Amino acid sequence: MTGRPQTAARTDRPLEDFAAEIGTSDPVVVVGGRTQWGVGGEPDPTAREVHAPRGVVAHEPAEMIVRVRAGTTVAELDAVLAEGGQTIALDPAHPERATVGGVLAVGQSGPRRLGWGPVRDTLLEARFVSAEGRLIRAGGPVVKNVTGFDLCRLLVGSLGTIGLLAEIVLRVRPRPPVAVWLRGAADDPDRLRQALFRPSSILWDGIDCWVLLEGHPADVEAEIKAIGPGFDPVAEPPPLPSGGRWSMSPSAVRNVVATLEPGTFVAEVGVGIVHESTAPPSRRVQPATAALHQRIKANFDPTGRLNPGRMVT
Amino acid sequence: MRLAVADEDLSACVSCGLCLPHCPTYRVTGEESASPRGRIAAMRATHATDAPAGPEFAEFMDLCVQCRGCEVACPSSVPFGRLMEGARATLARETAYQPRRRRMGYAVLGHHRLLLLASSAAAVLQRLHLVPARLGLPRLPLRRPRLRPGDTAGPGGRPIGTAGPGGRPIGTAGPGGRPIGTAGPGGRPIGTAGVGGRPPEPDAWLFTGCVMDAWMRPTHAAALRVMHATGARVALPGPGGDCCGALHVHAGLRRQAEALARRVMASMPGDAHVVVDSAGCGAALKDYGALLGTAEARRFSDRVLDVHEWLAARAGRLPAARRRLTGPVAVQDPCHLRHVQQAHQHVRTVLAPYADLVELGDDGLCCGAGGAYAGIHPAMAQEIRARKVAAIAATGAPVVASANPGCIVHLAGAGLDVRHPVDIIAWSLDGG
Amino acid sequence: MAGVASGEAACNSARQTGGVTDALAAELSAAMAPDRVRSGPLELTLYRRDASLLEGQPGVVCFPSTTDEVQAAVTIARRHGRAVVPRGSGTGLAGGAVPVGVDGAEPVVIVTTKMDRVLEIDADARVAWVQPGVLNLDLSRQVAHLGLHFAPDPSSQQSCSVGGNVANNSGGPHCLAYGVTSAHVLALEVVLPDGSLALLGDLDPEPPGYDLRGAFVGSEGTMGIAVRIAVRLSPDPPAVRTVLVDFASIETAASTVTGIIAAGLVPAALEMMDARITSAVEDYVHAGFPRDAAAVLLVELDGLPAGVEAATQIVADVAAANGARGVRVAADEAERALLWKGRKSAFGAIARIAPDYYLHDTVVPRTRLVEVLSEVYEIAARHRLLVVNVFHAGDGNLHPLLVFDRREPGVMARVLAAGTDMIAACVAVGGVLSGEHGIGLEKRDHMGLIFSDDDLDAQRRLRLAFDPEQACNPHKVLPSGSGCGDLQSVPAGAWI
Repeated sequence: MTGRPQTAARTDRPLEDFAAEIGTSDPVVVVGGRTQWGVGGEPDPTAREVHAPRGVVAHEPAEMIVRVRAGTTVAELDAVLAEGGQTIALDPAHPERATVGGVLAVGQSGPRRLGWGPVRDTLLEARFVSAEGRLIRAGGPVVKNVTGFDLCRLLVGSLGTIGLLAEIVLRVRPRPPVAVWLRGAADDPDRLRQALFRPSSILWDGIDCWVLLEGHPADVEAEIKAIGPGFDPVAEPPPLPSGGRWSMSPSAVRNVVATLEPGTFVAEVGVGIVHESTAPPSRRVQPATAALHQRIKANFDPTGRLNPGRMVT
Repeated sequence: MRLAVADEDLSACVSCGLCLPHCPTYRVTGEESASPRGRIAAMRATHATDAPAGPEFAEFMDLCVQCRGCEVACPSSVPFGRLMEGARATLARETAYQPRRRRMGYAVLGHHRLLLLASSAAAVLQRLHLVPARLGLPRLPLRRPRLRPGDTAGPGGRPIGTAGPGGRPIGTAGPGGRPIGTAGPGGRPIGTAGVGGRPPEPDAWLFTGCVMDAWMRPTHAAALRVMHATGARVALPGPGGDCCGALHVHAGLRRQAEALARRVMASMPGDAHVVVDSAGCGAALKDYGALLGTAEARRFSDRVLDVHEWLAARAGRLPAARRRLTGPVAVQDPCHLRHVQQAHQHVRTVLAPYADLVELGDDGLCCGAGGAYAGIHPAMAQEIRARKVAAIAATGAPVVASANPGCIVHLAGAGLDVRHPVDIIAWSLDGG
Repeated sequence: MAGVASGEAACNSARQTGGVTDALAAELSAAMAPDRVRSGPLELTLYRRDASLLEGQPGVVCFPSTTDEVQAAVTIARRHGRAVVPRGSGTGLAGGAVPVGVDGAEPVVIVTTKMDRVLEIDADARVAWVQPGVLNLDLSRQVAHLGLHFAPDPSSQQSCSVGGNVANNSGGPHCLAYGVTSAHVLALEVVLPDGSLALLGDLDPEPPGYDLRGAFVGSEGTMGIAVRIAVRLSPDPPAVRTVLVDFASIETAASTVTGIIAAGLVPAALEMMDARITSAVEDYVHAGFPRDAAAVLLVELDGLPAGVEAATQIVADVAAANGARGVRVAADEAERALLWKGRKSAFGAIARIAPDYYLHDTVVPRTRLVEVLSEVYEIAARHRLLVVNVFHAGDGNLHPLLVFDRREPGVMARVLAAGTDMIAACVAVGGVLSGEHGIGLEKRDHMGLIFSDDDLDAQRRLRLAFDPEQACNPHKVLPSGSGCGDLQSVPAGAWI
């Protein structure tokens, strides 16, 4: 295998066109798949809508990276990656609609975060359009990089309030040879986590546990034995309740869900996300930290024209 | 101020900092001035100017324990010990670095009878509670056993120092010291007695040293006991073989050290191994070749072995244990055994049949004893020791084995049961 | 070497008068303890540099032991118009801790080595709160009994501090599989450049707001001083295999690297050493590295046993297909440790070849390793210099070391010119300036090779949000001129 990109470019328009659409004045709101439209507040309906460019520019399996336009859907990206035997754990709820840029801008990881890490760690390079309509590059197309300040991390989860993603380079990984979800009754999900080495996911609804094991077939078989009896393969994980996404220290999950009706929530064990129907209370941010947020927003978007209405805090 | 160091040695440090965690004073302070890298930088700065070294420089140099843990940690093998000895030699020669009080203290070490008298006097004062505790002295012995040839009682052994010249048994020939056991009813008969009145060549000499002989002579007796158990004939040094000069080298008093080295060499002539049961003295004796720079000194240094090194080569001849300590023994490697002689594994080889050994998890970091260091910098020595004590406590071992008198005294000062490995072996061989 | 600390290379144009420094030192002494504030001339000399080749000049060095003391030190320094320069163990290779002040006033160096306690370990959540001066390896040792470790493992891990790792977003051999420091830091309590205290990130997975944690990690001391760090602890893998592969040419070693990655493996580590460095290292560790090899690869595979065995076989097959001379699998933990000790001692062992080295840290696409390496050797030859290569091949992170003796007249100019050529060669194939050492003072003027003025301006905006007065580790990372007119460039004399 060589370094030649596995895929030819299948993109719709140059990045410069996107920058020009955003321009230098007036409020703009970037629209992806509208699957997470409410996160951080509904965007100002009067703002001009723009759409990020689409298409997978280059998948380079031997580099384990992919260059993709922000408006590409996650399903399309994963189909291209699969051709090269690779994948990425973005795992949005609606991959056929959710865009790669949208997933990164919202910054929420999927249920495989336990084994695959958070989505923020997959972003290697970002080309984004600034509030001044300039095309800016952050990071670089290599898997390890400390050249300059880490704007990539800042962009993930910033809801498009400091720059609008146009094209990104993501770190991808080999598709695991075997992946199997198991389900069984469990009142101590932490026991499973201790018994397994880097499981990809452990979900718990207070009654049952769902465990995702991925890897070499013999290892997966051995891990199934380690879990013990009472767990059987299932086709897929449980549906995640929507409406409330609670974030807490993984060690706090047990106590928090003790107040909830079993079966009404799904907790990501070892991660600290609990999905349920009610929204979590808003969190206080320390004054010094809040001041930092404000200065960052002011420095990158002094007129507040990027995604008005959406707030990161 | 030009330092008595080689430019090549100074330039060998690339300032990578891999030495830092292996330096006991850096571990306590976290300061460059108390680190090998910082000390070398200070030497470079001083070496590069004509200005005399200020008190800051002397202070930085003096705080070094000279454990040489940095040397083995250094991927470029910067000869730090040589650099530090050179810097201190320059300071001692050209500045008031070693005050008269300290110089006198070092001078006493070379006068063994005076040292023994002073030690006994101090022991008496201790019993009368007239010695301040802050001096950190161990409990000194009022009496010392005679060192005997072999493990049988009798007048054949040569009492060291205490008995004066008259104590030297008749029949000892030459200036070269007397092989033990050739004379006297209590002596262990040697089958291959020499002809023509010349004493037969011993199989090995046991170097006895200055402070160790004054304070810990029973350990020498144990070393003899164990060496004899291998069937070897062991001799004690003749006159002058009583101070190795290590502390003088460390203090920068090189001339005195050289004089002592010549005396020590003369006290143990021939080709037999020179066996040392003090890690610090052994390292010094092994370095005579470099100190004196003569072929004779190099030949002498080649004969020197740490007692465990010597015993390890004869481990098959040692009898089995007749009793064993209950509970594990933590092995504490003296720096000059581990970092300088790199002979610390032999302690384990020799001791393992007689005790259950456990290792410390501190990478052989210095305990802070450092020869005279614990007396000169007691506060720092105790802070360094605290880390060692914690590492020992983590093993849960009730007994610590340490092959250097300085470490034994320093660690015992923290209330630990510290024993020389040969003491443990001798006790084990003797049965209960 | 006489010139190293002889004062020929002061970075700052002006020295402060003793009186001003005395008042500053007195105030700092009152805020912590007199013996933790130093201004003796010889002692200041020792803080002029880190493990790079550059030198600056501190005005005062202080050693706070608490958060309050760090806040006081920053506040007092700012009141006196001084910049602050944070410093951990001083093992940085890009001059990040070299003290450079502003407006000719020598900075206050704030050393975190006395803040060296592990504050809290939560084995269930696999998190530890530590002070910045905790040494990287000490942290892993303190949690080893729990079956956990701190994954970033720079070669200096025995000496470098976690605070320094945060500042540099440090990597290490095992970052190939486990990610760099940023992926292992959950939260930071930071003294900001105005002396205030802020919590960045949190122990939960989705704390509100911008990822200030991510922005701070890798900021090289320009955004404040981390005083408490929550790090993620990783479970020790159940199975580990370490393989030493021996090659007759650099090219076959490099193509094996490409082949291993292309085969779909993500080894825990994948390191390369060329002939010269292998010999130098072998002289030190006596681990049985083949002295006659043109290059060796050190490959580590970890995880669950079956996957590790399968991966080990693939590595052996790929190596054989590329003409490897031998494959040696470490038989036990002791052999594995010895092999790693050799790899991690490589930079320090350079003095066995020559007394000085100048090191680059570029990252190139892994598929371009073969061509870039041969170009690196060519560039060195063109400048009549010796280059050795020891690097993290698995992620394309090159460490070409130009080795020389700076006492040779004119050599420094050749070294710098060769370095610039090497960077250009790496950038030309899509590489970046630094994979893990940081930009610091040493590589900041090369930033324009990678980033446009607009790109650099965006980075400056982030920095200014944290440090509007650019008083925290000034002159680092961003080249002068990127939006700040009064930045002075480092005088040529700063190169030693």
